[in-house]
This record gives sequence, structure tokens and C-alpha cells, in this order.
Amino acid sequence: MSAAAWICLLAPLGAALAITLAGQRLSRRGAGYLATASVGASFVAAVVVFVLLLGDSPNNREHPSVAWHWLTAGSYTFNLGILVDPLSTYMMLIVAGVGFLIVAYSIGYMDGDDEERRYFAYMALFVFSMLLLVQAGNLLILLAGWGMVGLSSYLLIGFWHERPEAVAAAKKAFVMNAFGDAAMALGLFLLVQQTGSLDFGVVFPAAGGLSPTVANLVALGLLGGAVAKSAQLPLQTWLPDAMEGPTPVSALIHAATMVTAGVYLIVRTNAIFEAAPTVQEVAAGLGAATLLMAGLIALVQTDIKRVIAYSTMSQIGYMFLAAGIGAYADGMFHLLTHAFFKALLFLAAGIVIHALSGEQDLRKMGGLRHKLPRTYWSFIVGGLALAGIPVFSGFFSKDPILSSALAQGWYGEILWVVGMVGCFLTGLYTFRMIFLAFWGEEKDGDLHAPEKDVPGISMGVTVAILTVLAAIAGFLQVFELWTPVSNWLDPVAPPLVVPTSTQEVVSSLVAVTLGLGGIGVAWWIYGARRAEAPEPSKLLEHKFYFDELYDAIFYRPAVLLAHGLLRFVERPLVFGSLRELTQGVRELGTGVRNLQTGLVRTYAFAIAASLAVVTLVFVVVR
Amino acid sequence: MMGPNIVWYLCVSAFLFTTGAAGVLIRRSPLIILLSLEIMLNGANLALIAFSRYHGTGDGQIFALTVMAVAAAEVVVGLGLIVAMARRRLELDVDKLRTLRG
Amino acid sequence: MDVGNVLVWIVWILAAFACLGSGIAVISFSNPFYSALSLIANLASLAVLYLLLSAEFVAAAQVLVYAGAVMVMFLFVIAYLGGRADTPWAGGPSWQALAAVAAAGAIFVEVIVVIGLKTGGRLTHAPTTDYFSGSPYDIGQLFLTDHLLAFEITSIVLLVAAVGGVILGSHARELPGAEG
Repeated sequence: MSAAAWICLLAPLGAALAITLAGQRLSRRGAGYLATASVGASFVAAVVVFVLLLGDSPNNREHPSVAWHWLTAGSYTFNLGILVDPLSTYMMLIVAGVGFLIVAYSIGYMDGDDEERRYFAYMALFVFSMLLLVQAGNLLILLAGWGMVGLSSYLLIGFWHERPEAVAAAKKAFVMNAFGDAAMALGLFLLVQQTGSLDFGVVFPAAGGLSPTVANLVALGLLGGAVAKSAQLPLQTWLPDAMEGPTPVSALIHAATMVTAGVYLIVRTNAIFEAAPTVQEVAAGLGAATLLMAGLIALVQTDIKRVIAYSTMSQIGYMFLAAGIGAYADGMFHLLTHAFFKALLFLAAGIVIHALSGEQDLRKMGGLRHKLPRTYWSFIVGGLALAGIPVFSGFFSKDPILSSALAQGWYGEILWVVGMVGCFLTGLYTFRMIFLAFWGEEKDGDLHAPEKDVPGISMGVTVAILTVLAAIAGFLQVFELWTPVSNWLDPVAPPLVVPTSTQEVVSSLVAVTLGLGGIGVAWWIYGARRAEAPEPSKLLEHKFYFDELYDAIFYRPAVLLAHGLLRFVERPLVFGSLRELTQGVRELGTGVRNLQTGLVRTYAFAIAASLAVVTLVFVVVR
Repeated sequence: MMGPNIVWYLCVSAFLFTTGAAGVLIRRSPLIILLSLEIMLNGANLALIAFSRYHGTGDGQIFALTVMAVAAAEVVVGLGLIVAMARRRLELDVDKLRTLRG
Repeated sequence: MDVGNVLVWIVWILAAFACLGSGIAVISFSNPFYSALSLIANLASLAVLYLLLSAEFVAAAQVLVYAGAVMVMFLFVIAYLGGRADTPWAGGPSWQALAAVAAAGAIFVEVIVVIGLKTGGRLTHAPTTDYFSGSPYDIGQLFLTDHLLAFEITSIVLLVAAVGGVILGSHARELPGAEG
């Protein structure tokens, strides 16, 4: 079993290295096939691990595997170790499975790009990093994977590096993630000092014994990292900009896997969060605030990918909410279904963008349901799943979160209300996007070429698979009637709250009604054009002015500081001292040069004088 | 022994040596410099012979003879140099020969 | 004080002063010809001093080799070069000359002081009685037994000097950029 887990982890790394080292010797298509095959192998290995793990009894499903002692410092030892347990296997299947589909899709999407090999190397590297993160057996390896996914994200967002917007977006993503990484690292420092280790097996049982202050600080640090990685308030501004990267990148990294790493972290370290209940509540609150804010902003977005990006932010807000109130299995289930329907939406959007030769502005789209019928239906399925309409997957995953919130006392009820508003907004913005793009009259002559209407095998098949998954994956867990997911994750992350049947029914009814209501409003305004859309408010258009705020608080002072340092420290002190040094040496050389007069007499005189002096010293001293 | 004791000879030797040294340092013509060098060598020779007499062995005299031979060889080469310089129309003034100036 | 001793003393004083005077003369004359002749006088007086120190062979070699061969060579070259005079004392003594004289004087004084102080009076008593005779026979014996190596090496040195002299004197090549 450990062997399968290691193969799952290392196969994509092997592909990344092979593609990098092979360089031009590997054809572009070949790089794509290699990357896809390696992620496929990962998926197969993950399935093997899963099946083997099923064979164990539920309480015996923890299997750490250590490769070697990584470093020893004093009394602290850190190993390079992975952990095979229900939660990590769950994530392995998602990452490798969805990753496989998306990398296969990329073969078609990135066809013809000059730097295809680099793309696939980066994608394989990303899959490896994400697997390292979810398979990590101690928090240090998790942090390593955490940083590496941030790196892969940077590399892939800025993939088309000739575009300054892409480069700027990549930097923004990386810097904000670095902020979160720093917070997380500080939390880990404190943790290792208090408990002496970072192994899951040591830290989690010891979490209960930490003093409240320490637990709060550690949890806060971890939350900081999660918030940055998952683009939640207040570190959310990087995600919309990250849409500068290729669409499959947005699908894989910024929808299905990397941004969910924050949720995974909270679920994995639930012992620490439960020891710091205030921070956990803060996490839920942040999730709720984010889902509301993101839903509102998505209403006024004109770029199709940005709508989907904000919906990602919003849905992860739901997952944070779930993790914050202790409904871990519900949050993880929503992570699964969200991976399917969000990847579906992104990849289908990719087909649309391809067909329109790069056009992403919704205002320029229209009437595509006749030109791209299959893509249209994929969008419908994905949109219904996203809005939480039965029988699609989102319904089964989102509603338990909300009903659990309802069961959590007065704070939970507030969160429930926010979540409900979110449901309405979700239906509204999702179908606004669909109606704008696919209904109405066709705008003139944007279509690239008729043959692009029918996507190639790689793009078409993968989207079809995802459509099916988005439709039926919900049946993996039907509320309290059939709960394989909850049962699976129970040993690792038992839920803190279980809603009653009444709460479930009430919550679901209200959610579905609101979702349908949102869809109805969208149809009224954008589909049937029976009413005019209201003017978007400035607040929403400027995304609640977060970018401007951060610019003023962080960016401008940093630039001023840099200029100041350049003028007052760097130039005079550093340059100056260097210049003085070189000048001094040169002058010394020139001075010494004067000794070499070239005159015999001078040299002879020097000898005579030295003789006199030395003899004098000799006489006096001895 | 008859006559002045060795210290007087050593004084003469010292005087010859320093006179030769002063000559090397002061004069500009390479010829005169060579002559001054000869004086210095002779001064050293005198000291050697004096000490040889003092100790009663012959080593000093042998050494002095060797010095004489070496001095002769040195004069040959030095004069050859001077003649070569003169043949190339170089001015025989060490102050003017500054090609090795740093 | 017997007559022999007085005679020795007189000879010594005469020879010593001749030595010192001709030494100063060598470095003072501006005409190189006169300098060379003064050096010959210096060598002759040194030969007398050697005789007083019972180094007969060395004295003879001094006159024959030094004064006879080396100085003649010098005079040849001076005659060939036209005896260009340089005027060391023109325009008053330069600071360089003064410094040189000072250095030389300092060395002289120091040597005297060393001899006076450091030898601790060991040099003032009479030398050993079994003294070396300095005759050609004795010199030859030493050269061919105890100091054979010095003898052989000296011959090689002379050979090298001869070769060098021939090379330096040959007309063969005009080196480029020889003007100075």
C-alpha cells in the first residue's frame, strides 16, 4: 500500500523531470501524453491505495510511511514521510482524478502553443506538489508541498510571460500566498516549540493539552495560510487576476485543487482548531463573508472566467463555513462535487473561448447554444449543480453544510442566513452568465471557425466525463440516508454537529427555492429580456475596493521605502563604500608605483639604506 | 705580530667598502659605477685576508682569490654591457635608462 | 719598540692612506680616465697591505690579475668610449648625493661600532702563532684539497663570463626598439 502511495506521489514528478530534461527531443504532443499518462498512473495508484485501505477495518486505517530522516536539529527530528489514511486517500483520488482529466483536456487546448512542453512540465510539477501536500505525514512536508503548489501556481499563471498582465498577476498571487505561508510558518514554529514535533501522530493528540493562547496563535497562523491559499477574505484579491493563466490552469489550480488546500488544512488539523474554538468560528465567519461578497461581485463581472473565479471563491467560502462549524465531512464532500462541476464549467468555458478565438467578454457573446449545443448542455448541467438544484451534485453537498450551520446555535443561524442569500446569488450570477453567453442573438462574426465548434477528442471527451460526474456525483452521499463519505472520513475528522431531520428538510427547501428564484430572476432579465438589468454599483465593480486598499496600505509604502533606501542607503553607503574602496586601492597602487622609478641608483640607495637600518637595529637590539 | 693589529685593517676595509658604496650611489656613469664596485670588492677582500691572518688559516686567502676571479668575470660582463649600450647609441647615464619604470 | 715594528708601521700608514686617498679619488674625478688610474693606485696599495699580512700569493695575483688585466680592460673601454665625462658635482650636491653619502657614512660608523663593541676585545690580543704562510705552495695545496669545489666552480664562472662577453660583444643582431 505504501508503495502504491509513493508511486502516486512520484509519477508526476518523474514526468516533470523527464519533460524538463528531454527538452526538444520530446515532441510537444509527446510531452502532453507523458504528463497525462503520469497523472493517470497516479490516479490508478490512488485507486489501488483506496481499495487496499477499504480492506482494513475502519479504525485501523492510518498507515504512515517514512522515506528517510530528513533533518535532525537538537531534539527535533523531521522525516520525509507520507501518511495513507482516509482523508489523504480521498484527496489523492480527487487530485489525481480531476488532474488527469484536466491535463488530458490540455492536450487539445494548448495544441499549437510554442511552449507546450514547459506547460506540461509545470502541470506535472503541480500535481506532484499537490499530492505531496495531501499525502504529507507531518506538517513540515505539508508546508513544503504548500510552498511548491504556490510556486507551480506562479509559474502557470505567468505562463504566457510576454503578457505583462499575466506576469503581474503571477507576482500578486505569489506575494499574497507568501504572506499566508509566513503566517503558517510562524504557527508551526510555535507548535513545534510546544509539542516538540510536527508529526500528525504526535501533534494532534497533544493539541488538547495546549494552553488556549498557544492554541489560538497556532490556529491563527494556520488559518492565515489557509485564507491566503484559498483566496478567502481578506487575502482574496489574487484569484480573479489569476485568470490570466490558461483556462485548464484555472480549472485545475484555481478551482479544483490548490484553492481547496486551505479547506484540507483546516480539516486535517481539526484537532488544533477544536482546541481554539474562537479561531474556528472566525474561519466560519470569514467563509460566510467571502461567499457573500464574492457572490455580489460575480453579478457584475463581464469576463466569463472571472464569473467562474468568483463563484469558486464563493463556494470555497461554503467549505470554510463547513470546516468552521465542524461539519468536516460535508465540507469535504462539497470539495469533491465542486471539483467536478467547477472544472466542468472552466473547461467548457475553455471550449467557448477557443471557439471565439480568445474572446472572453460576455457582452460580446450571444446565441451560442445553436453553435455549441453540447457545450451549452454541459454548462447547464454545471450551472444547475453549482446552484444546488436537485438532482445534481451540488444539491447533495451544499445543503448539508447549511443545515449543519442551522444546528449550531445563534452564530450558526446567522451563517445560515448568509448561506441562503449566497444560494440566491449563486443561481443568479451563474445563469446570468449562461444566458448572456448562450441565449440571445449572435453577435457578429466572432466565431473562429466552424471546425472549432466541435472540440477535439481530448477536450470533448473530458468535458463529457465531467458533465456526467457533475450530474451524478451527488449520489455519493445522500444526507443522512446514505453516508459513505462521512463514514469514510469519520476516523480522521468526526463532525462536531449533526443536524436533525427537520433542520435538514427546512434548510434544503429554502435553499432550493432561493436557488430556483435566482435562476428565475436571471431568466427574466437576461434570458427572456423582459426587464433591464440595473446599473452595477461602483462598489461591486471595484470589487469592494480591496485592490485599492491593499495598494495604498502595502504597495505604495513599500515602493516609497524602496526608493528611499535606494537614495539614502544604497547609493551613498553601499555604492559609495565600494567606490571608495576601489578608488582607495587604485590610489594605493599608484602610490606604490612611484617606488618603481626604473633608476638603478634608487634601488641601490634603497639597498644601502636598508643595510644601514638593519645593522643599526641589529647593533642596538643584540 | 708586528705592525698594527687586525682592527686597523678592518677599519681600512670598512672605509673602502663605504667609499665604494657611496661611489655607486652618487655617480651616473656606468663605468665609474663599475669602478666603485671594484673598490667595494677589494675592501671585502682586505677584511678576508686580515681575518685569515688572524686565525692563522688559509681559508680567507682562498676566498679572496675566488672573489677576485668572480670580480674579473663581473667586470667582463659589465664592460660588455657598456660597450653594447654605447654601440646602440644609448646614453651612458643611468638616470636616463628608465625603461623599467613602473 | 724595535726597528722592524716601526718600519712595518710606517709602511702600513703609507699604504693605508694611499688606499683611502685613491679610493676617494676614484669616486671624485669626473674624468673616467683619472678614476681608472686612481683605482690602479688603490689596487697597488692594497697589494702592499696584503704583503704585510703575509699573503704573498694573493698580493701577486692582485697586481697581475686586477691591476694588470682587469684595469687594462677598463682602460681599453674608456679609450674606446671616448672618456665621456659626467659631472657629479655640478650644480651643487643634490639631495640624492647627500642621502647617499649619509647612508654610506652610517654604514661605516656602524661597522666601526660593531667591531668596537661587539667583538668584546677579542680582536685586540695577538693572533695565533701558527700562521699560514701564504706562499703559492700552501695556497695551491689548499685549493686542490680542502677547497677543490671552489676552485672548479671558479673556473666555470670564468667560462660563463667569457661566453657572456663574447655574446655581448658580437655584432650579430640589432634588436628592435633598441634606441633608448
